[in-house]
Amino acid sequence: MSDEAKARWQAAAASLGERSAYKKVWDLQAGDPDLASLSVAGHTDEATLELTGRGFIDTLRSTVGVDRDDVVLEIGCGIARVGRPLSLECLHWFGADISGVMLGHAAARLRDRPNTTLVELATVGLQEFPRDAFDLAYCTIVFMHLFEWDRYRYVEEVFRVLRPGGRCYFDNFSLDSEHGWNVFMDGARYPLERRPAHLSMSSSREELGTYLGRAGFADVRVHDLPNELIAATGRKPD
Amino acid sequence: MDGLPPVSPAPGDPGARLAALQAELESVRRREAEFRAKMVHEFLDRGERNTYVHVLHEERAALVKRQQESFADLEDLTRKIEAESARVAALEAELAEIRGSWLWRVSAPVRAAARALGRGAPAPAAGRAGVEGGVFAYYLHTSPFRIYRDDRFTLRGWAWPQDGRAVTAVRVSLDGRVFEGRHGLEEPEVIARYGPQAANPKPGFEITFETPPGRHSLSLEAQIDGAAWRRIMATTIWCEPRSR
Repeated sequence: MSDEAKARWQAAAASLGERSAYKKVWDLQAGDPDLASLSVAGHTDEATLELTGRGFIDTLRSTVGVDRDDVVLEIGCGIARVGRPLSLECLHWFGADISGVMLGHAAARLRDRPNTTLVELATVGLQEFPRDAFDLAYCTIVFMHLFEWDRYRYVEEVFRVLRPGGRCYFDNFSLDSEHGWNVFMDGARYPLERRPAHLSMSSSREELGTYLGRAGFADVRVHDLPNELIAATGRKPD
Repeated sequence: MDGLPPVSPAPGDPGARLAALQAELESVRRREAEFRAKMVHEFLDRGERNTYVHVLHEERAALVKRQQESFADLEDLTRKIEAESARVAALEAELAEIRGSWLWRVSAPVRAAARALGRGAPAPAAGRAGVEGGVFAYYLHTSPFRIYRDDRFTLRGWAWPQDGRAVTAVRVSLDGRVFEGRHGLEEPEVIARYGPQAANPKPGFEITFETPPGRHSLSLEAQIDGAAWRRIMATTIWCEPRSR
């Protein structure tokens, strides 16, 4: 990551008061492909993107499974870091994001993937999608940027758009990990008036499990992942 | 399973039959998944179409409303002109009667003397005499030919003098009361159509002026090369607030 890119990233930050204005915040964070990549993945080179994308697919496989015939939805797909490799392993991949600018970068990366579709979300929620449509819906490295109410809104919406028997996956970093605590303390060091809108906020196991249980999912499990993330998975009852 | 067509070549071979059933099941699963993916696409397309159709409906409704208002304004104007014409006819008849009278003929030398002394000359027409007319290429995006219902109006358009000199300011004179406007606004479509205007690369302008109730003389004017003002166009306008 170049110093110049870091500086532009800092300059593109909106204030914490605007955290709920997700479209504005993330359009601002997606000014150009490098900035977008930095904002959603923390790095800019394609090889690392591919590697981390494939790493996440392994996580999906080990928690909820990935099938060749799956119709998949990713919430907050960003530049399609995961979607690009995952589209090779499923029937059709739909990527949804609230930032149209971010999706512009994703579209460029998915030109050679005919079984992919990008959808710009108008606001928090999945009102663009019909019910009972997807086999698998997941949301990774997104919850840390959302307020809790909006996290739960997506869980509820995933319940609606999954077909009966469909699987879901949501992750976040946990406060009780080294990484989680470091992120928390980094955030705490910001002067009050300069806290950026995209500041990462942790989840607890109880929080994620509660969301899925309250939304109606069955077989709810919370996983401790090797990269100090926690993930909640569940299945929409038949 | 009775009644279903055979899915395996050897009904007596349970292993082969199971494999064939499994393949058939996989195929059905895939077709069902393809159907769901197609359903999502159709849902997305319909959402987009609905949004676009909605915008078109809104625009059409606004245009119909504006057209109706314009027709009503024109009808009002026609009635006003009819009324004015009737008044002019009555005045002309009265004037003819006066001129035909004995007293008018007797006082003719007195009126001639007064004219010679410079008194009794006719007053210049309001609004149009103040500024000399110029020759402009111009267009008004917001037509001034209307009944003015609100208490102010913004005239938007573009203009440049035919002799290629620069417009350095714009204004509206309403019965001699001046309202200054903004000029130098971008008009990319006009430049694309008529070619670059060296002295007026941004020929757009907008002028907001008050429209008090009544009949007024409106004169749209431009200052040329920072010096003289020239009239672009002039018209009579009628301002009639909507009755509550």
